[in-house]
Parts: sequence; structure tokens; C-alpha cells
Amino acid sequence: MDYLYHILVIALIYVIFASSLNLELGYAGLYNFGHVAFFAIGAYTSALLSLAGFSPAASMAIAVLCSAASGALLAVPALRLSGDYFGIATLAFGELARLFALNERWLTKGPMGLPGIPRPLGIEAGISGIPVYFFFTVTITAAVLLILRKTTMSPFGRALKVVREDEFVARAFGKNVFSLKVRAVAMGSLFAGLAGALYAHFVTYISPYDFSLNETILVLLCVVLGGKGTLSGPVLGAFVIILFQELLRFLPIPTDWGRFVSPIQGMIYGAVLVILMLKRPEGIIPEHRT
Amino acid sequence: MTNGIIAGAVYALFAVGLTLVYGVFRFINFAHGELIAWGAYLTLAFSALIPFGAAIFPAVALTVLIALTQERYVYAPLRKKTGITLLIASIGLSYFLRNGLRLLWGSDLQSFGFEAARGLVFFGITVSRTQIAMFLAAVIFLGFVWGLLRFTMLGKGLRAAADSLELAEIVGIDMKKIRRAVWIISAVFAASGGILIAIDTNLEPMMGIANLLKAFAAVLLGGAGNVWGALLGGLFIGIAENLGVAFFSPGYKDAISFALIIAILLFKPTGIFAIMKGMR
Amino acid sequence: MLTIENVTKSFGGLSAVCGVSLQLGKTPITGLVGPNGSGKTTLFHMITGFYSVDKGRVFLEDREITNLKPHLISRMGLLRTFQHTRVLPFLSTLENLIAAAPLQRGESLVQLFLRPGAVRKDERKNAQKAREVLDTIKLQPLAGELAGRLSYGQQRLLELGRILMADPRVIMLDEPTAGINPSLVRDLVRVIRGLTGVGIQVFLIEHNMPLVMELCDRVLVMDAGGLIFEGSPHEAVKDKAVIEAYLGKARDASKS
Repeated sequence: MDYLYHILVIALIYVIFASSLNLELGYAGLYNFGHVAFFAIGAYTSALLSLAGFSPAASMAIAVLCSAASGALLAVPALRLSGDYFGIATLAFGELARLFALNERWLTKGPMGLPGIPRPLGIEAGISGIPVYFFFTVTITAAVLLILRKTTMSPFGRALKVVREDEFVARAFGKNVFSLKVRAVAMGSLFAGLAGALYAHFVTYISPYDFSLNETILVLLCVVLGGKGTLSGPVLGAFVIILFQELLRFLPIPTDWGRFVSPIQGMIYGAVLVILMLKRPEGIIPEHRT
Repeated sequence: MTNGIIAGAVYALFAVGLTLVYGVFRFINFAHGELIAWGAYLTLAFSALIPFGAAIFPAVALTVLIALTQERYVYAPLRKKTGITLLIASIGLSYFLRNGLRLLWGSDLQSFGFEAARGLVFFGITVSRTQIAMFLAAVIFLGFVWGLLRFTMLGKGLRAAADSLELAEIVGIDMKKIRRAVWIISAVFAASGGILIAIDTNLEPMMGIANLLKAFAAVLLGGAGNVWGALLGGLFIGIAENLGVAFFSPGYKDAISFALIIAILLFKPTGIFAIMKGMR
Repeated sequence: MLTIENVTKSFGGLSAVCGVSLQLGKTPITGLVGPNGSGKTTLFHMITGFYSVDKGRVFLEDREITNLKPHLISRMGLLRTFQHTRVLPFLSTLENLIAAAPLQRGESLVQLFLRPGAVRKDERKNAQKAREVLDTIKLQPLAGELAGRLSYGQQRLLELGRILMADPRVIMLDEPTAGINPSLVRDLVRVIRGLTGVGIQVFLIEHNMPLVMELCDRVLVMDAGGLIFEGSPHEAVKDKAVIEAYLGKARDASKS
């Protein structure tokens, strides 16, 4: 039962993480392949602050603001680049962030990672605190989804779509394309940071290996599989992927073959991405009725 | 410094292959990195059955086959869609191939098992025999490409296609042949380069993407699509990496390429070495 | 209303527009004609901020707009269409119109969350206006249809409707009737004439000469980046320089 709560918390964290990427990718059309960097910034900032003595709740709040600010800062120069190149530049940035976490041991303890991250609101560490953490996460996820709903089903959301579909038209009708994009990235980074902070305080031990290319592909898959440009798409995608990932652990695989699970999983993810692009790029929940 | 030039020569191989693909197909092939890795790993596999020198050939041939299969089943059907669909598909393909590698050979470091290279001394510089081989191979391949582009019909076709795909088709250049040629050349370069690098260092599953990003930085340095630029870019990165570790921690060696990518895209996206016309 | 002073633009070594000066506002509908490649669309891009101006200045009613960002120029009431239709194919006809409304408070995140009532009011007002515009352009039955499904001519009408939503003072249309069947051309003309009735200036690029004769009170002719004629349409077709410009192109075309 505890394990079910564990899976659900991870799934909910990815719901927030994927929804935040969806805002940038699905609504604004910005292919931010370095999104995991803000997940990491949220996680590390919150972890470091709470380990330094701040209350976990305050640490999370500050971490979220830091992620949003870094997102906006990255966006300003990066948004000068067109689609493909923006994707590459953000990917390079994501890798740089990981290398930074790996090498700056004075700050992040490098590959050793940060153990013993305290839980917020007096939630107990370890397995006993998991059910309460679950309810904590559900509340936050619900709030995030409500905020995203209001944001996307609004003139702002509509303007983002206009920018995504045709920047010339957007400009010809008075929309400040640059400002809209920066705001989308700032908001996306904010929620990515929140997801990261939630993750850090849940697993109570983080290291740079938690924030690699694998996570980038995982969250991309959630958005693309579930259906980009919709509210429920990333939610569905996150649940499908995380449940799949966790259920694989339950399969009765002889220990000799245990080392095959991870690569096969990876091959499935890669294949799913390719097949999706070939056959159904809009994902399970399409944005437009055809 | 010599290490830098030799590493740079191999990076140049990767970069030229990547820039050829970009010049003709106009997209960033993420899976190019896996061609590098598979070339090396397949050689490892075949060298268990036949002598190393012979093992190279089936390995490279199979890698070419992988590249052509990618083109046939994934890239060709997606050509008409938006650039981002292709990008995501190539990311997915790269992940698929990389994990296929892990499945077959595991995540641990592997090695071709050559003894530590004995050094030869030229004009006071020490080079190992492996390094000489690497450098010579790179020079031969690059020379071949230069000759191809300059003197053959195929080469002219490649340059025309890189300049304008539509015009090339209108003028009657056989695009199918060009496309196939590009994949074959870039796959051969990637696989050979991968084998060369693996001789010098080790094999591990991430070697594909690690080298891809360096190749990509080199491509950008030279201006995307510019063959000479890619060559110079590769050399530059090789040298920069080797000099750079004198200044900051070796853990950041790869970071040089990433930082370069970001810097070039932001400040001079047309490239710094795009001085000679090359393929554009 | 719209004044252009000696504007010039080159691309690399190629001069696209050279020392063009003109003033709009003397008559309600002004036409811009000229052979292909004479720089008409380039001039449009320069006026509306989509291209930079190398030399010269552009004024909208005494305010200088040279090299201003396009969205700022749009907000000042200078609106335009493009050579090819650019409706948003995956939004409905109605949504295409609402999206074009200017000064939507709901586009600001701060306003969206702190003043939801005001945002709702704006939305209602814009939806109402959109329905009125739909009436004017006679596309009501297609209100809920995805704009990508409309015929080319209907999309052009929709584009005019979008401009109506944006409270324009000056409208620049790039080949609005190209490739459209005659009955829809009639509708377009009706809407354009209606615009001038409320004091809006219209500046349009057209190749359809009979239409220009019918619609425009004044015509400007460009050739090879320069302005070669200014006057009434009837005088234009008799002007030597104009005839030479068109015939010259025909001569060149027949030689090659």
C-alpha cells in the first residue's frame, strides 16, 4: 500500500513537471529540451536551503522563485534562436547544468549527492511519511492544474497559441511575441522547479544522476504521448509512463536478467517517440478536433 | 597540443559527416552519435570472431545499413512534416539505439584490448602508434571527401543540393542517389571515427552522444553545411579541449563543447570558420 | 496620415527599395501597382516594421514609426494583411476574430489573476464585436468552423474581418483579391468600401488593374524599387513611364 502511494507521488510530480513543459512546448511552441535544468534547480535549491536550516516549506517557496527567475534569464538570450536551434541550445544548457552539479562539489557535493533532505510541514522522513506526503502532493498538483487551466483557457493562452501558429500574424495584431514567450518560459520553469522541489523532499536524497538526459526524454515522452497543447494530455502521459516504469519492477524477472530491464525500457521509450512522430504526432489526446 | 590535433582530426570526421547531413537534409540528426557508438561496438563484436583489421569492414558496413534503415523508415516519411517532428524522432531513435547498445553489451566500459601504445618520437613530440593511425585515417577520409566534392559528378551534385534542394531537383540531379550517398559517407565517417576513438580510449554507451555534441559544436563553428568549416571546427574543438583542461577541472572537458554551442548560437550563428565556400 | 520620406532598403548588394517618398491620406483608397519585383511588398514590410529601413523615415500621423517593432505599429492602428492568407487554421473562424482584438487585458498574467472580472468583461465585449464583424463579412454560418477549412476567398474575407476587430486607422492590404473567384471579390470590395465610410485609410497592392481602376481614387506606381508615377488610375494607364515599365518587363520576359 505504501508502495502505491510512492508510485502515485512520483506520478503526480511528473504531472506537474510534464504540464510545465507542455506550457512551453505545447502552447507556446517552444522546444525547451533543457527543461530538466529547472527541475534540478528547484530540487537543489530547496534541498540546500533546507539542509542549511531553513524550513522546508520556505525553502520550497524560494526554490520555486529561483527556478522561475533562471528560466526568465535563460529565455531572454535563448529566444533569439529559431525552433531547431533553440532546442539544441536548451539541450546544451541542460547538460551544462548537470555538469555544474557534478563538478561544483563545494556547493552540491558533486556525485555524492545530498542525503537527509527534511520533509516539509513536519511530515516524517522515511516510509512512514509517504501517505501524508501523498496528500500534500495531491493538493499542490490540484492547485497547479487549476492555475494552468486558468492560464491556458484565457486570452493569454490564446495569444500563446497565436504565437505558436504564426508569429507574423501575432505581431501584425499587436502581440508582443518576445514578452509572451519569456512569460511562458518563466511560468514553465516555475512549475518545473516546484516539481523538482517536491521530488527532492520526497526522495530525501538527490544527486546529479537524477537530472540527466534520461529525465529529459521521460518528461518529453509524457507530454508528446499524452497529447501536447491540452491540459489533460500531460496528466495522462505522466500516469501512463510512470505507472509503466514502476510496474516493470514488479514483473518476476530472474535476477540474472535484471540488468536488461533498464535498456529494454529505454528502447521502448525511444521506439514510442519515433512511432508517435510517424503515426500520431498529436498524442493520445489531440488538441484539435480533426 | 598534439593530442588536441589528433583528437581534433577525428572530431573533424564526425563534424564533416554531420554537416553533410545537415547541408542536404536540413535537420540535426541526433542519432548520428549512435552511428559512432555502434561502429565501435560492432567492431568489438566482430573482432571476437575475426582479426581486428578484418572486423572493421563488416562493422562499418552494418553501421551504414543502420543509417540507411533510419532514412528509409523514419526520416524519409517525416521529411514533409515540421522540423520539430524530425528532431523529436531523431532524439527517440538515438535513445532507442543507445539503449540497444546497453542491452547487447552492458553499461560497463569495454576496450579493444590493445596494449598500451608505445610512443614514437618525432621532432621532440611523442605520439603513440594509435594516434598516428588515427591521424592518418582521418586525413585519408577527409582527403577523399575533398576529392569527391571537387572532382566528381556526385560531389557537384552534393554541393548543388546543399545550396538549394529545390533547384537541385529541378535541374535534374538524382536526389535519391545524393541522399543515399550522404548517409553512406556520414555513416562510414562516423563508424570509422568511433573505432578510432575507441582504440585510443574506451567504449561506453554514452560515447555516441558525447561525441555528437562535440561534432555539433564543430559544425556550428564552421557554419552549418560548410564542409571546410566543419573540418576546422573539429580541429579547433580538439585543441581547445586539450588546452582547456589545463585551466579547469577535467570534469568540465565536455562542457567546452556545450558552452561553445550556446555561445555560437547566441553570438555568431553563421559560424566563425565559414571563411571558405566549402559546400555552401 | 501615413507619410514615407525617402526610404531605402538593400539586401546585400541588391537594392530593393530606393528613395521612395509618398503621402497617404489625400484620398480614401490608394492603390500601389507595379511589375513583379518592383519592391511593393518590401515597402509594405518596411512601413509595418517587418523589415528594417536602411535610410529614410516613416510617420503615422506625425508620430515617427521608423523601425519600430511591428506589434507596436499595429497597436497604433496600422494594420495589414500578407501576400498569402495567414488565418490560424486550427482556431475557429470566431476565435480567429476574437484573438485579433487589441488591448486584451487577459493577455497579462497579472490582470488575469488579480482582476478576473475585468478580463471577463473584455472577453464578452470582444466576442460580441466578433459576432458583429462576422455579420459584416457575411461569414456567420461558418462561425464555429475551423478556419483551415474555409475556402481561400473566405479566408481572405476573414483576414479583413480580423483587421476590423483591431480598430484600424490605416489598413494595408497585400494583393487581397489574388486567386479569388469573382463573387467573393464583390464581397471583399463591399467590405473595403465600407471601411472607408468610417474614415479608415486603405492602401492596397493589386495586380488586378480593372479592380484598381474601379476602387482606387489614387494610384502609385513602382518599378525597380522606385516610385515612377502618382495620380489617378486613368492617368496612370496613359503615362509613358508606366507603360514602359510594364512593357519593358514583357520585352525582357520574351527575350529570355
